[in-house]
Amino acid sequence: MTDFLQVLFVGIGDGAIYAMLGLGLVVIYRSTGLLNFAQGEMAMFSTFVVWTVWDLGVPLPLAVLAGMAGGFAIGALVHQVAVAPVGDPHERPLAVVMVTIGLFVGLNGLAQLIWGTLDRELPPLFGTGQVTIAGVAIGWQKIGAVIVLAVLALGFWLLFQRTGLGLAMRAVASNSESASLVGVPVPRLLMLGWGLAAAVGTVAGVFTAPGRGLGSNLMQLTLIFGFAAITLGGFDSLLGAVIGGFVVGIASSVVPQYVPGFEKIPLAPAFILILAVLLFRPQGLFGRQQVRRV
Amino acid sequence: MSELTAATSEPHPDPRPRSRRLPIGRIVAASIVGVVLVGLPLESPPFRNEQFVGWMAIAIAASGLNLLTGYNGQISVGHGALYGIGAYSVALLITDVGVPVWIAVALAGVICFVVGVAIGLPALRIKGLYLALVTLAVATLFPLLVEQFSSVTGGGSGLSITSPQETARGVVDRPIQLTSPFGALAPDQWKYYVFLALTVVVFVVTRNIVRSRTGRSLVAVRDNETAAEVSGIHVARVKILTFGVSAAMAGVGGAVFALNNVRVNPSSFTIAVSIYFLIAVVVGGAASVIGPAIGAVAYGVFVDVVSPELPERLQPATPVILGGLLIVLMLVAPGGIVGWWRMLVAKRAARRGAGAAADGAGPASVTRKPSSRSTDARSPEA
Repeated sequence: MTDFLQVLFVGIGDGAIYAMLGLGLVVIYRSTGLLNFAQGEMAMFSTFVVWTVWDLGVPLPLAVLAGMAGGFAIGALVHQVAVAPVGDPHERPLAVVMVTIGLFVGLNGLAQLIWGTLDRELPPLFGTGQVTIAGVAIGWQKIGAVIVLAVLALGFWLLFQRTGLGLAMRAVASNSESASLVGVPVPRLLMLGWGLAAAVGTVAGVFTAPGRGLGSNLMQLTLIFGFAAITLGGFDSLLGAVIGGFVVGIASSVVPQYVPGFEKIPLAPAFILILAVLLFRPQGLFGRQQVRRV
Repeated sequence: MSELTAATSEPHPDPRPRSRRLPIGRIVAASIVGVVLVGLPLESPPFRNEQFVGWMAIAIAASGLNLLTGYNGQISVGHGALYGIGAYSVALLITDVGVPVWIAVALAGVICFVVGVAIGLPALRIKGLYLALVTLAVATLFPLLVEQFSSVTGGGSGLSITSPQETARGVVDRPIQLTSPFGALAPDQWKYYVFLALTVVVFVVTRNIVRSRTGRSLVAVRDNETAAEVSGIHVARVKILTFGVSAAMAGVGGAVFALNNVRVNPSSFTIAVSIYFLIAVVVGGAASVIGPAIGAVAYGVFVDVVSPELPERLQPATPVILGGLLIVLMLVAPGGIVGWWRMLVAKRAARRGAGAAADGAGPASVTRKPSSRSTDARSPEA
C-alpha cells in the first residue's frame, strides 16, 4: 500500500507539471485554434533563461519570475514573427504545423548554440526536503508543484472570467471577426495569449528540470504528456487541462510500475489516451464540441 | 488544404502534350543530371558515397510522406517511426531470420504497409492538427518502444546487421557487405548504384501513381472530401491505402538507411528524423513528385557538406537554420524550390505574352510535357 501511495504521489507531482504545460497549450488553442507543437521547446528555452539569471547569483524564485518575463517576451515575439503571418490554423493546418515544427527545431538548436550541449543543474524551487504523510515520504517539490499549479489555474480563471481583458480574450476565441468589429484589438490579444502561455510553460520547465538535468531535450516527453492532458480534458478547457494533467500523471506513473511490458514506456498510456479520446470523444471531458456549418 | 501545393496552375495537368516541339532545354538538363548522378560516385571518396546513399534513403521516405501529406493532405509528423520500423524489420529479418537482403527490403515495405494501414484507420476520424498530434506522439514513442523490447531490438545499444559468413575460422556471424558481382566496383560505389536504381524505381512508381486516376483521387480527397465522395471516390479507401503506400515507402527508405549503416540504433529514429522528412518535403516542394528528392539533396548538402565546415561551437546552428528556413519558406514560398521554379517559369512565359500562349508555350504547358527520362529527376511536374 505504501508503495502504491508513493507511486501515486509521484504521479500527482508529475501531473501538476503536465497540467502547467497543458494550461499554456489551452490558452493558445483557445485564442488561435492551434496546437502549439513548439510549446515544450519554448518552455525549455525560458527555463534556460531562469538558469542563466540564477547562475548570476539571483535567488531562484526571482530568477523564475525573470524567466517567466523572458518566456512572455519569447512567446509574444514568436507569435508576431512566425505564427500570425501564416494565417488561420484550420484553413492551413499543414503550414501552421510546419511553422510550429520549425520553431521546435529552431529553438532546440538555439538553446544548444547558446548554452552548449551539456546538461545544466537547476536546483528544485522548493528544496529537497520531504514530509511524511501516512508513512509515505513526499518531496516538498511535489507539493509545491501542486500549489503553484493551483495558483496558476486560479489566476487564469480569474483573468478569463473576472476581468475585462479576459472577456476580450474570450471574445477573440469565440469569434475573432466579430470581436474585431466591436473594437477588440485582436492581434494584440493573440500576442498576449502566446506570451502568457509561454510564461506558464516556464514554470513547467522549472519543475521538470531538477530531476533530469536541464538540456535542450528537457520538454520533449513532457510536451506529449501535456498534449495528452489537454486532449483528455478538452482542448479549450482550463479545468480539463488540470484534471487531465493529474490523470495522465498518475497513469504514466502507475502503469509502468504495475503493468508488465510497460516498464520503460510511461508514454504509452498517454499515447493510448490521446488516440482513444480523439477517436471516441474528440471534445474531451470538458471541452466544447465543435460544430461546423456547411 | 492545397496550401502547400507547388503547382502554380491547376494541380493535375492534362497529360496530352500540347506542344509538339522537342523540349530541348529539358533534355539537356536531364542529361546533365543523369551524367552527374552516374559519375558522382566514381569521383567521390567512400564516406561521401555512403552519405549520398543516406540522402537517397531520406528522398525515398520523404517521397512517401509527400504522397500522404502533400497530395492527400494527411499530416504525418511520425514518418520517422515508420522509417525506423522499416530499418528494424530489415535488420531483424536478415540477422535473426536469415532472409536474403532484397527480399528483406521488400518485406520491410510490406510490414510498413500493414502498419500504415493500421495507422490510417484511426486517421479517418482524426484529421488535420489532431492527426499531426497523434503522429507526433508515435514518433516520440518509437525509440522508447525499441528500448522496452530490448530483448528483440537490442535496446539502446542497437543491432548490427549480420549474416553467417565463411571465414578462415569457420562460419561466423559478421556484418553483411554488399559487394558488386565481379568485384569491378568498390563496395561504396556498388551500394550507391544499387540504391540509386531503387530510388529511381520508387520515384517512377510515385510519378505513375500521382498521374493516374488514383493520384487524382488523392488530390480530390485532399481538396474537398465531401466533393470527392459525391463524385464517386471511396474516400476511406483512398485515405487508408495512401497511408499504407506512404508508410511502405518510408519503410523502404528505412531499409536503405539500415543497409547503408549496417546497423540500427534507436537514436537514429527520434522525432528529429520525422521533422527532417517534413523539411525535405516542404523545402523541395510539397505535391510535386521530384520535390522530396530535391529537398533531400538540399538537406543532405546542408547537413553533410556545409554544416561540418562550421566551427564546432557553431554546429548546433544547423537545426536553427533548418527551423528558420522552414518558417521563412512557409511565409514566403509555401511551394518550396519546385513551386518557386514554376513561378519563375510561369512569369517568364507570361512575359512572352499572349502570342506565345496561343501556340502552346503558356505557363500550363510547361508542366505538361512528359519527361523523356524515366527517372523524372528533372521534371518539376506533379
